[in-house]
Amino acid sequence: MRRFTSSWLCFLFTCVLVIPTQAQDEKDKNAIKVDLAYYQLDNALPILVASAKTKNGKKFEPVDSVDIYLYFNEESTVGFIGKIRTNDKGIGKLSLPERFRSDWATLPSSTFIATITGNERFKDASTEIEIAKAKIELTAEEKDSVRIITAKVLAFQDSSWIVVPETEIKLVVRRLLSDIKVGEDDSFTTDDDGVASTEFNLTIPGDGDGNIFIGAKIDDNDTYGNLVTTKVMKWGAPLERDDSFEARTLWATRDKTPLWLLIFPNLIIASVWGIIFYLLYLITRIIKLGKTNESA
Amino acid sequence: MIDQSSISSDKITSDLMPQKFGKAGTIWVSILVLLCLAGLFGYYRQLTLGLGVTGMRDYASWGIYISNFVFFVAISLVGSLITAIFRLTNVGWRTPLTRISEIIAVSAILFASIIIIVDMGRPERFTHIFLYSRLQSPIIWDVIVITTYLVLSVLFLYFPLLADLPILIKNSKAGSGLQKLYKFLGSFWKGTAAQFKITEKAVKIISVMIIPVALAIHTVTSWLFATTYRPGWDSTNFGAYFVSGAFLVGAGGVIVAMYVFRKAYKLEAYITEKHFDYMGKIVVMLALLYLYFNVNEYLVPAFKMKKAEEHHLMSLFTGEFSLLFWSVIILGMIVPIVVLIFPSGRKPKTAFIMGVLVVVGAWFKRFLIVTPTMLSPFLPMYDVPENYKHYWPTWEEWAITIGSLAGALLIITIFARLFPIVPIHETIEERQNVKQQML
Repeated sequence: MRRFTSSWLCFLFTCVLVIPTQAQDEKDKNAIKVDLAYYQLDNALPILVASAKTKNGKKFEPVDSVDIYLYFNEESTVGFIGKIRTNDKGIGKLSLPERFRSDWATLPSSTFIATITGNERFKDASTEIEIAKAKIELTAEEKDSVRIITAKVLAFQDSSWIVVPETEIKLVVRRLLSDIKVGEDDSFTTDDDGVASTEFNLTIPGDGDGNIFIGAKIDDNDTYGNLVTTKVMKWGAPLERDDSFEARTLWATRDKTPLWLLIFPNLIIASVWGIIFYLLYLITRIIKLGKTNESA
Repeated sequence: MIDQSSISSDKITSDLMPQKFGKAGTIWVSILVLLCLAGLFGYYRQLTLGLGVTGMRDYASWGIYISNFVFFVAISLVGSLITAIFRLTNVGWRTPLTRISEIIAVSAILFASIIIIVDMGRPERFTHIFLYSRLQSPIIWDVIVITTYLVLSVLFLYFPLLADLPILIKNSKAGSGLQKLYKFLGSFWKGTAAQFKITEKAVKIISVMIIPVALAIHTVTSWLFATTYRPGWDSTNFGAYFVSGAFLVGAGGVIVAMYVFRKAYKLEAYITEKHFDYMGKIVVMLALLYLYFNVNEYLVPAFKMKKAEEHHLMSLFTGEFSLLFWSVIILGMIVPIVVLIFPSGRKPKTAFIMGVLVVVGAWFKRFLIVTPTMLSPFLPMYDVPENYKHYWPTWEEWAITIGSLAGALLIITIFARLFPIVPIHETIEERQNVKQQML
């Protein structure tokens, strides 16, 4: 009994010492804000982009090296998607794993949860987004020399796809660093059939065959997230390869020196050094004359 | 003033024969050797520790080594000025100055070649310049033209020396090392008409050829800068600007050397006040010409004051380098013009002081051409460390630079110990011609 009492007292003593310390530690930690965005490219499995930031004065600053745990529909072992670590911009990305495909494909909407927990520097934080499943069908056709891009927005409800009217959509040409809008308007609104279309009148360079990526995208939609659908079309101007590096230029390698730079300076160098060798020959003549004179 | 025509051939020979170093000469050589050794130690540290021991960083990647290189290239132009141009234009009073100017040219161009290797981060790859050279690069043009100029200058020194070698052989101690050297260089010289004819022909050829090569070396060196798009270098004037500056420092250098040799070897009868008078006038003309190019280089951009060039120009006019800039303009150009324009200013001592001002000013002028521009990039680096924005050479750089200058002076000194600094044969011949004309 005495032994039990003594152990119990030890436990209590430890609790008295440790619990306030831990509480104090948690109090000293900074608050952190976690955000989650949903990206669906070409109707494939979505990519989740989580970001972490903290307030420094009046400004939010990205936080790097923070672990964010992602969940699908429920914050449990079953719904655990994976852990990401933020980069120097405070961002981390993860694609929805294949094991969730059937659930994601059959559910009309899904919930995604991002949590930060047990971080040494920051307090626990969490966020969740609910995304209704949708897709964009993109068609491009040319009739009587008129090129038209058409995008149709569909949402998955009651096991079937229904059209989504009154939704803002952008029709673009996708480039390496940013998108170029097609048509004069920055964005379009889908009609009652869920359709938005515009003429394609751009003259822009494509790859060697003139291929370009045209695309339709829905940005930051509260219901559907970010959706992008692309299509390769031969509507660009075929790119002529700049092979000037292979030509004889001032910036080329030594074996591709411009001919004029090879011929004229070398002529000058040969002439000057020819004369120098002649001068050296004159020295040998002087030596010979001296020796002849000596022997005479 | 001593009438040169009245001096006998024997007297000329004994006056102009190279002399052993006296006490002052020994001290002078010792100081030069010590400075060279200090330079070598600095270079040893640079070789073992890398270019990090210098003050050069990402902004000022060209420092005093390149300034020194440009200075050496510039002063070497004196060879073509005095020897070639004066010879072709038949300037009668040139004789005592030709060898002085040629040895300055040879030693300067030799050290220009050395100092450029010192500036290399990987000097063991020096041969790559020749093995993997690209003719598109102005640096290769410089390498070619410097090599050519060095060879021509050595030949220009050697051919006129031939006629003096028998005199040196005859008047040196039999069997001595010195005599062996003279014999190696010119025992074959018998002074025959045919030999003289060939020598004259060779000297004429070099005189004609060295002028475009000398202009090329300075123009190409200026192109190292002008082909780079930077404030202060982006100029179509740069070739002429460099050539005029080189002529000025060369002429200033000759005045200094004339005075020193005249004093040290008691050559008052050969390097006369007349020579200082003429050279003084030449310096005035060249300083005015260089001043004209400076006005073009600084005043015209300052009138426009383009935003991108403002930092560079203001650093020179009122900023970090203003004291040096105005000192160089005033002391290195304006003061010599004002002093040397008067006959009393062209007396040996005053002319010598002006020559020193011109030469020292010219060295710092090259520093001002290189460094402020490097510190004023069109596209400044973001978040650059503060010490990148300023350049001050480390002791290793100073030691190497001063060592190289001492090395060039050492070559000149040793040459003057071994060979007559004023041509003996030519002086005797000249004296005889004057006598004949008088008769």
